[in-house]
Amino acid sequence: MDKQTNLENAQARIAEASDQAVLADLERELLGKDGLLGQQLKEIPSLPPPERGPAGRAANELKAALTAGLLARAAELAEADLAADREGVGFDATLPAPPVERGSLHPITKVTRRLVQIFSSMGYHILDGPEVELDWYNFEALNIPADHPARDSQDTFYCDEEGRLVLRTHTSPVQVRAMERMAPPFRLVCPGKVFRHENTDATHEHTFHQMEGLVVGKDISVGHLVGTMKTLLRGIFGKEIDVRLRPGHFPFVEPGFELDARCVFCESGCRVCKGTRWIELLPCGLVHPKVLEAAGIDPSEWSGFAFGLGLSRLVMLSHGIDDVRHLLGGDLRFLEQFSC
Amino acid sequence: MLISMRWLGRHVDLSGIDPEQLALDLTLSTAEVEGVERFAPYLSDVVVGHVLEREQHPDADKLSICKLDVGTGETLQIVCGAPNVAAGQRVAVATVGTVLPGDFKIKKSKIRGVHSMGMICSERELGLSDEHDGIWVLPGKPTIGAPVAEALGIDDWVLEIDNKSLTHRPDLWGHRGVAREVAAILDRPLLPLDTSLPELGGADPVEVRVVSPACSRYIGLSIDGVGEGMTPDWMRGMLLATGQRPIDLLVDLSNFVMGDLGQPNHAFDRDQLAGDGILVREAREGETLVTLDEVERKLEPADLLICSGDKAVALAGIMGGQDSKVQQGTGRLLLEVACFEPVPVRRTSARLGLRTDSSARFEKHLDPTLPLKAAGHFARLLQEVQPDVTFPASLADAGDWSDPACEVPLNPDQVRRSLGVGISDEEMSALLSSIGFRVQANGEALTVSVPSNRATKDIAIEMDLIEEVGRLYRYGNIPERHLTGALVPPPVDHRRELAESCRDLLAGGARFHETLSYSFQSDALHKMLGLDGESYVSVINPVQEGSARIRRQVLPSLLGLLEPNRRQRDEVRLFEIGKGYLPEQASERGEPGEVHELALAFCRARQSDTAFDEGCLPRLMAVVQDLLGSLEFHEQQFVAVKQAPVSWLHPVRRVEVRVGAGDGACVGFVAELDPGLAAPLGIDGELVSDTAVASISLDALLEQERSGGSYNPLPRYPGFKIDVAIVAPEEVPARDLSRVIEKAGKGNAKDLVIFDLFRGDQLGAGRRSLAYHLVLQSDKKTLTDKDAQSFLRRLERGLGEIGAELRS
Repeated sequence: MDKQTNLENAQARIAEASDQAVLADLERELLGKDGLLGQQLKEIPSLPPPERGPAGRAANELKAALTAGLLARAAELAEADLAADREGVGFDATLPAPPVERGSLHPITKVTRRLVQIFSSMGYHILDGPEVELDWYNFEALNIPADHPARDSQDTFYCDEEGRLVLRTHTSPVQVRAMERMAPPFRLVCPGKVFRHENTDATHEHTFHQMEGLVVGKDISVGHLVGTMKTLLRGIFGKEIDVRLRPGHFPFVEPGFELDARCVFCESGCRVCKGTRWIELLPCGLVHPKVLEAAGIDPSEWSGFAFGLGLSRLVMLSHGIDDVRHLLGGDLRFLEQFSC
Repeated sequence: MLISMRWLGRHVDLSGIDPEQLALDLTLSTAEVEGVERFAPYLSDVVVGHVLEREQHPDADKLSICKLDVGTGETLQIVCGAPNVAAGQRVAVATVGTVLPGDFKIKKSKIRGVHSMGMICSERELGLSDEHDGIWVLPGKPTIGAPVAEALGIDDWVLEIDNKSLTHRPDLWGHRGVAREVAAILDRPLLPLDTSLPELGGADPVEVRVVSPACSRYIGLSIDGVGEGMTPDWMRGMLLATGQRPIDLLVDLSNFVMGDLGQPNHAFDRDQLAGDGILVREAREGETLVTLDEVERKLEPADLLICSGDKAVALAGIMGGQDSKVQQGTGRLLLEVACFEPVPVRRTSARLGLRTDSSARFEKHLDPTLPLKAAGHFARLLQEVQPDVTFPASLADAGDWSDPACEVPLNPDQVRRSLGVGISDEEMSALLSSIGFRVQANGEALTVSVPSNRATKDIAIEMDLIEEVGRLYRYGNIPERHLTGALVPPPVDHRRELAESCRDLLAGGARFHETLSYSFQSDALHKMLGLDGESYVSVINPVQEGSARIRRQVLPSLLGLLEPNRRQRDEVRLFEIGKGYLPEQASERGEPGEVHELALAFCRARQSDTAFDEGCLPRLMAVVQDLLGSLEFHEQQFVAVKQAPVSWLHPVRRVEVRVGAGDGACVGFVAELDPGLAAPLGIDGELVSDTAVASISLDALLEQERSGGSYNPLPRYPGFKIDVAIVAPEEVPARDLSRVIEKAGKGNAKDLVIFDLFRGDQLGAGRRSLAYHLVLQSDKKTLTDKDAQSFLRRLERGLGEIGAELRS
């Protein structure tokens, strides 16, 4: 095929160029230094002078036309590429990439943080105390005298025959320690590990986590306790939760209550609330005057309330965990479910 | 405890009261009711049948053919396999179509060729008890054809009260006590109950001597002329409903009085007692007693005994003795109604594993005025059934007791302040009166007389009365209020803050998983790690043998988690922040020293071809380094140590972590485990792993200064990248090489990274090559090729001084 024919059907070839690469080749062939048009331009000086002007003009016109054709085709091809890309051929939303690996925080840590955040925002001190505790702080100062059933070795781990040192059975001893060195008014919560002498199975564990709270001030009433517990539950569950107080007996409070919360898992009774629509959530009450006295606080001047929240139980409730032993079992298949 | 509504009805009118509502009321005002159930619901579906005839089945030795009247006018034929069926009996009949427990529907059947139109039921078949030796022969003469429940008067509802919610309320361990609460809640009167003693004869009472403080009162009532008598149906029904098996009149009566008033009591056969009276004393070393359950009990001096003369006849407050028990034909009784101290009863019953309805009540500080009432109640009930009984002697009443009834002042303003509700004086007086307290106005204050049944260990101070007012007022009627007070931010707890930061950093960027483990560590683990010789805080009553020790350090707790987790995962990254206890650092008061530790374990399936910087140990070191840096402990170094911080680490591949200026202070270690531990830890064989561990003392870290990282101005002049490879003797540590590079750079050598480590024959034995990326950059001018050349010359000189060289 001669040059002329190539140039004459150039526009047609441009229009047929199937992709950008073919088009780029074509551009080189047509407009490159050694391309067809280039050769045509090179021939101009050898033409007789009168022909040179028209030939030059013709060549330039042709060049402009080809350039425009190439650009137009390039734009078409680019548009077609985008359109093809937009078709998303081969996309499978269910085809996974390797998961992002993370670490995790223990669910007890997470729930503790949530509660600490709520209580900190209300001006509570967050306190820590020893897990191996003096009998005085764990029992005696909390109005649990020597012959009380809670002090039986079936319930408490003792560290010596004299019964001076125990594994704390609750975190309330931290409160007694705090009362000794702090002057009222104060508000505090003590999260931590506690121990009860118990054989373990799916629902029993000798080591678990609790958070006990104490408020001491002027004229602290049952109404304040109810208000605080409702605020707490709003913070935990993110919505208004009905509560009810009913009589409950604990040596360190008087009066003492069990606080039930409306079951958040059902509308008409479920396994968690055993069909009652109420979940027994936390023991609480007004601090027994003897407890204030034992810590050197004058009960005629000050009063307070105390409550105990089972962190392990709260974690199990909120995640539907069916075996308490998972909490301290250290099984990655469990822990990984609480990635941060 | 089980409470029968029918039984309650003897003390308070319950007409029109819904059982569920009553349960809720009790829960909110008194004690938690855990369940409400209709008593033996199947008893309403079976009818009373009268066995008219019984004859032997012609083709089966053990079967009887019975003809029964079930009140329909037609005679019903039933084939029955029970050995005790006989003509004349009234029995429970399930007619065709009746559904019994277990969804068992009665159908017409043919048994060995004889038609049978129903079933005569045993107690078990009706869900009443486990009794299945024969059919249930109905007591008395119940109406033929009527539903059994109705005919026997045992149509009932049973409330189950949580015993734990009654620990401080001895008065609620009987129906009358519960009825008192119900009457107050429903605002209906508590019906009167005559518990006065009937007329007593003038004979001398049985002599009673109490020589132990564990018995505060002992009443002995002599009863004569006891004949064979049936327990009244109504009483049997109530006992059945509350889970007591009716046995015979005297046992049933004893149980009924206990269930009614909450006062345990015990009847002895007076003829089996020696002549010289009753002695209440503590047991002697080595003494034994065969109790009613025919078990020989080995006694200890703390156990309290009832003795006839000197011979033990009962374990006080727990169980009677086998020898003196009342039997068929016992005509002369000694009724014991006593008051025993809670603690000895609890200790003995716990030690012997013998908890009875009686011991459960004595553990609760019973009212010492109650025994007299219970004796009167027993005597009157017995008289109702057997009008011929007599009480020949005056009452024996021994013991050093006093009436606990007391007066407690109550300030009405304090009630309002404590409850946070504006309840009036009159209202609170009415509430207290409703449960038998007497209230007198005394100027501004009130004086409340607390009856003896509430004054034993329960009501003693004003707050106790406030509780009574509050619960009867209903806590639910108290409006919620918010705390007010000065807004003082709580002080910062640095240790908590540090621990929380560690958790975030490790679980975040480092991708470690937080675990919490038991504070107990097993002797076996300590032995394996060579930690047996340390001193530990130990519990004297471990749940598991060999797990009495409380950990001194957290890290060993993680080691036991490696094997089970490695079975599931190729890589295990765990951390725990916890406490350890050191007995040798005990305070004067005896509190052991407490340490706070961050422990890390990194365990990975062994890889054949690991790059020099991808081993577990360097990776864990990098994690710790990053952690400390992020916590703003910028001056830190890892120092190889000869002296092991703990014995179970690799003898060489271990470093001490030092933080602070100069040499810094040791805050912990990072190390590989001693290779000998792989097998005992179970991470060998198919689980063969590389393991690095770290322990950081939070206490030591808190003593170190933290400094906010300083800002480096952004570079103003371009730098250029340059790679150098250095061949050096093995013993020259990489850190020394880095220092030489930095020195040669005169402050301009930045961003040093080792990207290759190479050993090979061409380098010569004992030599290795380290390759570095670095950037040459000055903050004063743009560096040129000439500067690079002089840097390399200085570097070459510097390396020469330590026996190293640039590798071209």
